[in-house]
Amino acid sequence: MINLSITDKWPKLTPPKGSWIILFMLLISVTLHAEQTELEPVPNRNPTARTLLFGIGRTNQFDTYLSPMEYTGLQVSFLTQSERMTRMANRHISFQSTFYGAYSSTDNPAGTADYIGGRLAYDAGWHYHYSPLSNLDLKGGAMVGTDLGFLYNSRNGNNPAQGHFSIDLSLSAGADYSFRLWRLPMRAGYQADLPMIGMMFSPEFGESYYEISQQGVGHDILCAYPGNAFSLRQLLTLDFCLQRITLRIGYLCDIRQSNTRSLKYHDISHSFMFGFVRHFQLMRVKSKE
Amino acid sequence: MKYIRAIILIFVCLLTSCQQSDYSFDETPQGNLDALWTLIDQRYCFLSYKEQQLGFRWADLHAKYSAKLNPKMSRVQLFEVLCQMVSELKDGHVNISTSLDLGRNWSWKEDYPENLDTELRQQYLGTDCHIGSGLKYTILPDNIAYVVYESFSNDIGDGNLSDMLTFLRLCNGMVLDIRGNGGGELTNAERLSQRFTNEKVLVGYRCHKTGTGHDDFSEPQAEYITPSNGVRWQKPVVLLVNRSCYSASNTFVRNMKAMPLVTIMGDQTGGGSGLPFSSELPIGWSVRFSASPCFDAQMQQIEFGVEPDVYVALDETLAANGKDTMIEEARRLISEMKKQ
Repeated sequence: MINLSITDKWPKLTPPKGSWIILFMLLISVTLHAEQTELEPVPNRNPTARTLLFGIGRTNQFDTYLSPMEYTGLQVSFLTQSERMTRMANRHISFQSTFYGAYSSTDNPAGTADYIGGRLAYDAGWHYHYSPLSNLDLKGGAMVGTDLGFLYNSRNGNNPAQGHFSIDLSLSAGADYSFRLWRLPMRAGYQADLPMIGMMFSPEFGESYYEISQQGVGHDILCAYPGNAFSLRQLLTLDFCLQRITLRIGYLCDIRQSNTRSLKYHDISHSFMFGFVRHFQLMRVKSKE
Repeated sequence: MKYIRAIILIFVCLLTSCQQSDYSFDETPQGNLDALWTLIDQRYCFLSYKEQQLGFRWADLHAKYSAKLNPKMSRVQLFEVLCQMVSELKDGHVNISTSLDLGRNWSWKEDYPENLDTELRQQYLGTDCHIGSGLKYTILPDNIAYVVYESFSNDIGDGNLSDMLTFLRLCNGMVLDIRGNGGGELTNAERLSQRFTNEKVLVGYRCHKTGTGHDDFSEPQAEYITPSNGVRWQKPVVLLVNRSCYSASNTFVRNMKAMPLVTIMGDQTGGGSGLPFSSELPIGWSVRFSASPCFDAQMQQIEFGVEPDVYVALDETLAANGKDTMIEEARRLISEMKKQ
């Protein structure tokens, strides 16, 4: 019988002579170097705030292409946001990008059928900031975004799913208000994004995906505006610090709607969001003279 | 603080601005009947055609069947009334599905001779027939290929078709038997049709509803069959059909009718030319209905079936003696074509 011990498998490594001395000298040199340098912000590079939020909530889905009934159920989501002040307009304009994803599972009122839904949305744009008070920051601007999603009905035959796709230009407005509560510094924020004009995909009233696959989607791309696709995303947040971590809780109300070609659609979700905010500042190493 | 108040006011206004469903039918018997009646009224694609052909007015049926409802009726009773109402459409693609039963009207096949003896058909195929995906085939003693395709739900690949046609290439002709084929995937029907033409053929048209009006339809789009890049059949074909050929099978017969070497033999097909969609009622039952119609190459309706080129029925007496008169007639026709 062959009995393998650990030393049989793994040969013992013996450091070469003098290696400990080299390692010690290396550590000393790094320490000395650190003592002679300091960090300083890179000019013209403003701090960036990055947010990662997770959400859980309820959603109400209605798509007459699939069913005339409203489906309700659970939705989980995530939202990442990055916001950085730029040099434009004397540092009054910020650049913001948002990436949002959601997955939902909903049931019809009778509980005999269900939808599986998914959405991904990306928006990027600029806000002009105005501070009428030292602790109040108002902002307004525009964002360009794209939204891709689907709803799948497990029971339907030739119309089992509906795809959603849109590209739009949104008006965006918000406010941040800093205050203290129980001596703790806090910050309340609100932002609303309202799509104003864009393009969206919508099949015709009784058009099947079989026909779309035969004829292409060119004739199914429509102009979208609040009159036929009123949508709105609102995010209300509260930031507070726990030791050195900035935590964020919030409420996200996401309304996507359309009423085109005698087909009605809405996906209205209300989610509790939680996560954290990280503030970055690009630094460079400055050597002491 | 006035800024905060303004922001909260805007927030509340925007939050309450979302659109709500205007689907106002409740879960009572009357609510479910109203929902079903409205669904068919707005989305069923053959309503004008059926009113003309079958002599009813859909608007009248609402009052007729509402009179059969009462608030205390059971779910089974409600199911029966709703099924009776949609049975007036005589459409096999209109169904109400519940956990208890499937509401249907299969008069398109039940009211006619079946013209099929599956045991007899199996005798022709023999026990050593080839089975390539959904296709069963053999070579009959007079060197005629005999191919049976029982359901377009059984996927067939291009490889299956090429192998089968290569195997049968020395035969004098083909009897393609789709009797009893109740439909399935349109893509299978199209793939099989592509093996019987050497050039692009106009086989029909398809359109769909564009609104809730009975006659709101899109411009009909021509449907073509383009020849396959694989092995193609170049000899006479007799396609055997009966009243059970429905839906995708009906569309396949429409396609084959436009092919040059194909003869349709048997009975009129069952029909079912509408592509079915699904919806549901407040009670939770699933409803299937025809949503977009297709037509033949002359832009004529084929909802009630496609007529054969040669009417032939199954002789029950000869069938008892092991002779399928439809297969025998098909063989005789191919032999005659061979002589010519």
